[in-house]
Amino acid sequence: MADNKRDSKKVSRRKFLVRGGLGTIGVVAIGTYIFRNSIRREILGTINSLDLPYTDNTDKPMVWFEVTSENTIILYSPKVEMGQGTFTGIAQMAADELSVAMNQIQVVHAASSTGNIDSFATGGSTSISGLWQPLRELAAMLRKMLLKEASRKMNVGIDELTIEDGIVSGNGKTMTYAQAAEGVENWKVPDTPVLKSLKEYKYIGKPIARVDLDAKVFGDPIFGMDAQMPDMLYGAVVRATKIGAKFVSADTSAAEQMPGVVKVIVEEDFVGVVASSMMEADNAKDAINVTWESYEDLNTDTIVKMMTVGNGKSTVIQKHGDVLKEQYGLETLEFRTPIGAHAQIEPNGVVASVEGDSAIIKISTQVIGLTRKEVASRLNLDVEKVNVIPTYLGGGFGRRLHTPHAVQAAVMSKAVGKPVKYFLSRKEEFQHDMFRPPTHHVIKGKLNTEGYLDSLEHEFVSGDVGNNSPLIPDFLPPIIGADIGAIRGGFIQYTGIPNFRSVYWHVDLPFATSWWRSLGLLANTFAMESFIDEMALKANKNAVDFRIAQIGDDGIGVRLKNVISAAAEKSGYSEKITNGRAMGFATSIDAGTPCAQVVEVSILDNEIIVHKVTVSMDPGLAVNPDQIRAQCEGCVIMGISAVLYEQMYVENGELQPTIYGPYKMAVMKNAPKEIDVVLLQGKDTPGAVGEPPLGPIGAAIANAVRRLTGERLTELPLKLSKTI
Amino acid sequence: MEISFTVNGVLKTVNIEDENTPLLWVIRDMLDLKGTKFGCGKAACGACTLHVDDEAVRSCSYPVKFAAGKKITTIEGLGDRQNPHPVQQAWVEEIVPQCGYCQPGFMMATAALLKKVPKPTDEDIDKNIINVCRCGTYYRMRKAIHKAAEIQAEKDINESNML
Amino acid sequence: MKLKTWFIFLVISIISVLLALANSPKIFEYRLLENQQSEINKSDDAYNKMMDVLTHQRCMNCHPNDNIPKQGNDRHPHYFGMARGKDNTGFQATTCNTCHNSENNKYSGVPGAPHWSLAPASMGWEGLSRDQIAERLLDKSTNGNRSHEELIKHMTEDDLVLWAWQPGVDADGVQRTIPPVSKEDFKKAVENWFANGAAIPTK
Repeated sequence: MADNKRDSKKVSRRKFLVRGGLGTIGVVAIGTYIFRNSIRREILGTINSLDLPYTDNTDKPMVWFEVTSENTIILYSPKVEMGQGTFTGIAQMAADELSVAMNQIQVVHAASSTGNIDSFATGGSTSISGLWQPLRELAAMLRKMLLKEASRKMNVGIDELTIEDGIVSGNGKTMTYAQAAEGVENWKVPDTPVLKSLKEYKYIGKPIARVDLDAKVFGDPIFGMDAQMPDMLYGAVVRATKIGAKFVSADTSAAEQMPGVVKVIVEEDFVGVVASSMMEADNAKDAINVTWESYEDLNTDTIVKMMTVGNGKSTVIQKHGDVLKEQYGLETLEFRTPIGAHAQIEPNGVVASVEGDSAIIKISTQVIGLTRKEVASRLNLDVEKVNVIPTYLGGGFGRRLHTPHAVQAAVMSKAVGKPVKYFLSRKEEFQHDMFRPPTHHVIKGKLNTEGYLDSLEHEFVSGDVGNNSPLIPDFLPPIIGADIGAIRGGFIQYTGIPNFRSVYWHVDLPFATSWWRSLGLLANTFAMESFIDEMALKANKNAVDFRIAQIGDDGIGVRLKNVISAAAEKSGYSEKITNGRAMGFATSIDAGTPCAQVVEVSILDNEIIVHKVTVSMDPGLAVNPDQIRAQCEGCVIMGISAVLYEQMYVENGELQPTIYGPYKMAVMKNAPKEIDVVLLQGKDTPGAVGEPPLGPIGAAIANAVRRLTGERLTELPLKLSKTI
Repeated sequence: MEISFTVNGVLKTVNIEDENTPLLWVIRDMLDLKGTKFGCGKAACGACTLHVDDEAVRSCSYPVKFAAGKKITTIEGLGDRQNPHPVQQAWVEEIVPQCGYCQPGFMMATAALLKKVPKPTDEDIDKNIINVCRCGTYYRMRKAIHKAAEIQAEKDINESNML
Repeated sequence: MKLKTWFIFLVISIISVLLALANSPKIFEYRLLENQQSEINKSDDAYNKMMDVLTHQRCMNCHPNDNIPKQGNDRHPHYFGMARGKDNTGFQATTCNTCHNSENNKYSGVPGAPHWSLAPASMGWEGLSRDQIAERLLDKSTNGNRSHEELIKHMTEDDLVLWAWQPGVDADGVQRTIPPVSKEDFKKAVENWFANGAAIPTK
């Protein structure tokens, strides 16, 4: 669906800027794309499969490239690098269209002052797919401009010139891009040139090493936590431990006397302290006595009761044929998933400097534009005067799709007149996460006489994912009636079934839930693919054949079937138990990318052990197959962690636990020793990669356990009820 | 009080009021070596792992006073781009990092392991490498650890041949 | 005459007392028993006090029977799979000392004391009855070949044993609970129990 639309995308407005500066002699190409207005009634299905295109921020000039005197190109990325490999993918794209070598491209984060920041976010597995067309066009334009200047300076016709590794040659002469760009003041902007064919690309499609590899192996200070500014002080903010507690007042007298304390700042909504070192700020914070109000002592049972299908408001998000009129022969299973924490290793942190009417914010964030707006609005600054400088992220996973601590740091900086660095403690990270919401699923199905599903219904309830996020405009949820995040993976992909229906229920939770890598996909696929497996068993059919037979023949259906077949073949999928190991199968579609997984599982000391995972995925054109594999491996392991171990609970009104260990996560010994990735290419443009492989893993493991032990596990984290 | 120790081969003296300040913050904020990471402050995640006299230590739980007179090695001193430590070389060859934040801690833990166990088995790795990685790079890390052991062994052979 | 009468009376009296004593052995025995019982009671009390400490989490968590150190008052297995290893101090490169130092750390909440380690496997007391623990404690093959004197010294002077009364704060900054018997009472109890023969009451 997104594919044919993309063809219509054109550079609508262009501006150019020549930029000087140390080591920079060159040219900067500016391009602006308009986000197609796609808010329509049928938006639900569209959003679920759409690769969100790159969306620009302003009409102002935006710096994309700089040519340096060393004949290298700096690429300003509007997307942040959080491990997903986007910097490497876009470097490959730029290098190929610019005809330079990989080591001639240096990717840096665009700051908001540079212009080309993303107005939405880095997330949703859209960075490479969204930048695929515009970035290559911009790079090709820059190449054409440099070629033209070289031609003029070399006095050789453009047609006689060739380019390799940023060196223009022809008629026995050579000239570097840097030389071509030197001294040029009035650049002529060409029309968008014809892009190279896929065959001409040297880097796109190859397993190029990450461009940030060395920085990450040799300990370079690239993260938000590493950021600093001259004369920087350290801040800390007191946070409530109870859900819903609102700040009333604070007794700061003791803290003010603590060593190193510069100032205690009491605002309407928070109390913070600034000191000369991190430890001093932290110690002083503990000495502040805060009065909170309006919290109640909730517990997990209350949350589970709330989070039950039938509570809240419902929306039918998918409907085909008649559904479940006859109750006879109906199979019903219920599933539950718990509250999940992001638990990224780098805590949220920021350095803010507010001076006069402007502010500088260095931060690990997935939302540069939003952070900028929030800081400007709180301090009453002109948005243009707030420069948000993104750093590398020590993990994103959706945790940094709202980074309001930037506002608190800016307030503290303004109060002390110096830059202030401030980050959350691990306990605060756990208690003030914007969690993956708990879910409950009721799935009903009925087999026909041939042993295939005649009807299938999925009803599920979730807390907020996209709703109430500052990223989603308030007007949107009422229009579409469903939470665009919670319904990810909630669509029935077995469109060959005559009658099916998917119903979403929404319940407001007393604590913040939000985007967690793959959103609703992890929970929805766990429930649905467990149910399908149970139906296959009931019908006495092979789990793979049972699935393929009930998938429609539309474009995505065909790709899904190919992915399923490839996974089954590569893994040698079998329903026999060999050497105490059983295989489990599951599949899902997320953001237009189908993925299937086969796991091999055994039980040791009553623990579920995952030995091998085969991942088959069709992300379309693979810009960097190695990084796609890395994302598959990462999703598999993060998924194993989430479905076998992770669980937040609520006790006496507090979210618990607050530290790794008690919040059990997969470690080295829990990671499968074999992860086999098969990549298919069912379309000729890049698709989503960073989240789709999180879909199948939960059900695949549960299905293997079912075949191994006979027990159908219906709750995450998966735990055997009886001793094997 | 004044406390002296070597960091990556260079003698450092810090003047600090609270001698119980975790070594992590002295390294990061006073000595400005940011490769050693803060993850939890409770010795749970391992992001702050460095070496004290060649032993793996979680520096968020190590008072700076205990470092007096000792030899500290951080990721910056393990190796550099020109002379990577076998662990770093293996990490590059296997393209291990994703977000990269936990990686220095893992590499320091691995380097300490290889010192004690030059050719670790999978079981040795499972027991000794118990840091936390959220991106899930464990699969590549295991491969890289085995590879680092090979690189180290080759290096040792070459060095003994040169002698 | 008077003197003679007194003498006779005295002799008769002595004889009768002697006879009385000879004829009342039960009284004699009873008195001895009472004395003994008081000693035994004292020793039992010492034993119980000592055992209240030895079976407390602060002590028992590092005397496991499954090679896995325990943590917290709920005695959960040490997180991240830490275990005894070859020499009671963890694995080859990730040892107790990777996180634990010679004193408690108030910032990380990681407890510490000199020679922080698990008690040797032979001193695995977890799940044993008090009497079984006492047997192991006294048996040189399971107590590190210690004499009574060495045991007293170990139990009343060793920093790691006495850490139980200065266990510091946990990761949440909350003080760990200490054994129900004070350190001084524990020391006295240990000394008394050994001084009175280190008897196990039910034996």
